[in-house]
Amino acid sequence: MTRLEAREVRLGYGDAVIIDGLTASIPDHRITSIIGANGCGKSTLLRGLARLLRPQGGAVLLDGQAIHHQPTKQIARKLGLLAQQANAPESITVEDLVRRGRYPHQSLLQPPTDADRDAIDRAIAFAGVDDLRDRAVDQLSGGQRQRAWLAMVLAQETDLLLLDEPTTFLDIAHQHEVLDLVRRLNRDEGKTVVMVLHDINEAARWSDHVIAMRDGAVVAEGTPAEMITPARILDVFNVATDVVTAPGTGLPICVPRGTPVELRAERPPTPVRLRADRLSLHYGARAVIDDLSVEVPAGAITAIVGPNACGKSTLLRGMSRLLPPAGGAALLDERPVHETPRRRMAQRMALLPQAPESPPGIRVDEMVASGRFPHQRWYRQWSAGDAAAVSRALDATDMQPLATHEVDALSGGQRQRAWVALTLAQDTPLLLLDEPTTFLDIAHQVELLDLVRALNRREGRTVVMVLHDLGQACRYADHVIVMDGGRVVAAGSPAATITEALVRDVFGVECDIVADPLTGGPLVIPHGLIAQDAAEGSAPPAEPARVSST
Amino acid sequence: MIRPALSALRGGPVLLDLRLGSFASFRINVRVLAICLLLLVVVIALAAWAATLGSFIVPLDEVVRATFSESTRQFEFVVVQLRLPRILSAILVGAALASSGAIFQGLVRNPLVSPDIIGIQAGATVVAVFMIVNGYTDRYIPLGAFGGAVTAATAIYLLAWKGGMSGNRLVLVGIGIDALLAAGTRYLIVKFPVQQAQAAIAWSTGTVYGTGWFDVQVIAVALGELLPLAIVLTWQLRVLQFGDDIAYVLGMRVEPTRLALILVGCALAAVAVAVAGPVGFIALMVPHVARIIGGPMTGGTLLLTALLGAVLLLGADIVALHVLPVALPVGVVTAGVGAPYFLFLLYRANVRM
Repeated sequence: MTRLEAREVRLGYGDAVIIDGLTASIPDHRITSIIGANGCGKSTLLRGLARLLRPQGGAVLLDGQAIHHQPTKQIARKLGLLAQQANAPESITVEDLVRRGRYPHQSLLQPPTDADRDAIDRAIAFAGVDDLRDRAVDQLSGGQRQRAWLAMVLAQETDLLLLDEPTTFLDIAHQHEVLDLVRRLNRDEGKTVVMVLHDINEAARWSDHVIAMRDGAVVAEGTPAEMITPARILDVFNVATDVVTAPGTGLPICVPRGTPVELRAERPPTPVRLRADRLSLHYGARAVIDDLSVEVPAGAITAIVGPNACGKSTLLRGMSRLLPPAGGAALLDERPVHETPRRRMAQRMALLPQAPESPPGIRVDEMVASGRFPHQRWYRQWSAGDAAAVSRALDATDMQPLATHEVDALSGGQRQRAWVALTLAQDTPLLLLDEPTTFLDIAHQVELLDLVRALNRREGRTVVMVLHDLGQACRYADHVIVMDGGRVVAAGSPAATITEALVRDVFGVECDIVADPLTGGPLVIPHGLIAQDAAEGSAPPAEPARVSST
Repeated sequence: MIRPALSALRGGPVLLDLRLGSFASFRINVRVLAICLLLLVVVIALAAWAATLGSFIVPLDEVVRATFSESTRQFEFVVVQLRLPRILSAILVGAALASSGAIFQGLVRNPLVSPDIIGIQAGATVVAVFMIVNGYTDRYIPLGAFGGAVTAATAIYLLAWKGGMSGNRLVLVGIGIDALLAAGTRYLIVKFPVQQAQAAIAWSTGTVYGTGWFDVQVIAVALGELLPLAIVLTWQLRVLQFGDDIAYVLGMRVEPTRLALILVGCALAAVAVAVAGPVGFIALMVPHVARIIGGPMTGGTLLLTALLGAVLLLGADIVALHVLPVALPVGVVTAGVGAPYFLFLLYRANVRM
C-alpha cells in the first residue's frame, strides 16, 4: 500500500465535473509525473491530491485515511504543494517566504523554535538560495524564484511534495536547475514527488513513474521507457511523433511530427522590410536592449530565441512600437515605426502579445472582427472587405465551426487560435507572435506552428516569432535570431546557427544535435547543466565574446 | 434566478449588414434594435401613465391633450408645469447615468465601477450641499453641482495619471477622492443648523422632485450631444477592452481615445447629478443588465443601456412617489434595489474566482 492514493475520486468545479471515478496510487519514494493534453484534468487531480479541492465522490487517501477528514495542519506536515504560478506579496524576502513554510509546525504566539530555524536554514541551503536570503522575491530571475518557492515547500518538512508545472516560463537551463533540485530531493532525502509537467520529454527524463491522463481518466501508467512510444503518445496527446535516441544519455526523446512535408511557397512574399537600427530599449531606467541592429528577412519565418530575460520579447515590443525607443530606431519599410501613423502601421504589421485578455462574454466572431479596426472608420464599420477578411481568418485557423461560441468557454488551444485569427483578420503582410505556444500542450503547439507555416507558405506573409523552445525554432523557422543579454549573438539559418557550442554558451546546457528525422535539420537534445549557477543572477557578460561564425 | 432568464432573452445576435456603396457600412444587431424600440414604447407608456397619477388624477386623454394641444387650464398646469418636467427629468437622468456607468465599466474593465463609486457624484454633492447650507438660490445649485463633478473628475484623472492611465489606479484614486468628499459633505451637514441641513440631506439622496422645464432643457441638450458621441466612441471602446497592447497594435490612439471616453462619461454623470443630485446605483447596475441582454458593449448595447436606465429611474420614481406610503426621494428606492444587487454581484464575483 502506498501512502497517497486516489480511490474512485470525482473532482470538479461546481457543476463541471472534470474527473470522475479515477483511481491512482502514487509510488512512495519515487518521482511521479502526470502528463496529458490541455484540459485533461492533470492539475485538477493534483489539486485534489493536495486537499485543495474537495472530492464530490470517492476519496483521496493519505496513510489510509480520507484526506478531507484530517485536520489541515496535520496534512500540511505530511504533504507540501507548490501551486502553478504561485504569487508572493511583492517585496517579501526569500527568507520570509521560506519561513512561511513553517506555519504548519507552529502555533499561535509561539516564538520560532530551534527546530524552525534549522528547517529554514536547511531548506535554504538545499535549494541553493543562501546568497539570495535577503533579496526580494520579485527581483529574482525565473529560476531563482522557483527555487525560493521550492525552499518554502521544503521548510514544511513533508515527505510528500506535489508540484504543479514547476518549469513553466523557464528556459532550458532554469528548467534543468529546478528539476535537478527535485531529483536531489528524491535521491538524497527520499521524498516522494508528484509533478504535473506538460513537456513529455522532461517528464520521461526526470521521473521514475509516468501517469498519462486523457479526458479526466488515467489512460496509461508505467516507466518512462514504456510511456515514450509513438503509439502511447498518439493515444494520449493525439499527435504523431517520432522517437529518437539521445546519443549522450541513450534516453528516448519523442519529436512531434507536424506537417509531413515541407510546403512549397504558393504566393510570392509581399515585400515588407523590418529591421532594427542601433535600437535601444529601456524599461524605466533599466536598459534591456542597447544599440542592437538586426534585420528580418522578407517572406520568411524568423524565430527569436534566447534564455529568459535576454530581451527577446522586448525586441518584439520595440519593433511593433509598443515600447518607444530610447535610442536608434525600428524601421518598417525604412521608416521609423514610432513616426509612422498608427493606422498605417496596423495595416502593415500585426502583433499577438503574450497572454492577451479578452473582454468577458465576447464571441469568437465578434473578437476576430475587432482585427479589422485599422481598416475601418466609425461610419464604415462593416464593409464587404471586412466580412471577407474575417471569414478567411476563421477558415485559415479552422475556427469557423466555433465562430458563435464565447471565447471564455474555449480550451487553451482554441482560444489561442481565435487570437491568431484576430491578427490574421488584420490582413497585414507582417505577423509578429510573442511566445504563441506557451500554455499549449504538445498537440496544440504543433497545430499552431503548422498553421503559422501554412500562412507563410500559402499567403506569403512574413512571420517573426519569439519562441522559448529551441527545437520548435529549428524546425519551423527559416531564420533564427539568437539573443543573450540584450544582444544578438548569432543569426542565420537554423542548421548553420544552432550549434552545440552556441547552446552551451547561450543557454548554459550541454546538448547533442542530431538530424531531425523529419526535416533533416538540427534537433537539439539537452542533456545536462554546465557550471551550475554561473549564469544565475549576475549581470550579462560585458563582452559579446561568443558571436559564432555563421 | 434573474440572470438565466435574462440570458435567455439575449439569444444570439441577429445581424443585418447595411452598406451605402463602399463609403459607409454598418452591421446592426436587429435583436438589440428591436429591444431598444420595445423599451422606447415602455418609456412612453410609463411616462403617460405617470402623468395621470397623483393626488389629482388626470385622465389619460386629458394628459395627451394637455401635452400636445389645448386643454383646460387646470389640467394643463398640473400636467405640463408639475408632472411632465419631473417625468422627463427622470427619463433623461436615468439615461445619462446608465450610459455613463457603461462607459466607465468598459474603460476600467471592471464591473464594479460607476461614477457614484469613484467620487464624481461626491464632488457634485459637496458643492451643492455647501451652496444649500449657505442659502444660495436653487437656480445656481445645478451649476455648482456640475462644477463640483467636473472638478472632482479632473482631480481624479490628474492624480491617477502616472505616465499613462491604468484603470485600476483610476478606481483606487476615485474611491479615495470619494471618501474625502463624502467627509466634507458630512462636515457641512453637521456644522450647519438643522433647517438648512435638512434641505441639503434631501438633495444628497438624489431626487427629481421640483425639477422644472429649465432643468429638462439643460439635460436634454447635453444628452442630445453626449449620447451620440458616446455611441460613436463605443466603437473604439470595444477595441480598448482588449487591453492597451492590442489596441495599440490595432492602430488606435489609445490615450486620446481614453481621455475622450472619460470626458464624455464624466460629462454625462455631471449633467445628471446637477439636475437630480446623486442618484445611486443606476449607473452601476443598468449596464450589467444591458450587457446580459445585448451582449458585449457596442453602440447598440449602449443605446439599450440608456433606454433601460430611463425605464428604471422613471419606474423607481413612480414607486417612490405613488406606491410607498410616504413620498420618498427616488435615490432611496434605487439604492434600496441597487444595494442588494451590488451584494449579489460581489457574491457572484467571489464564486467565479
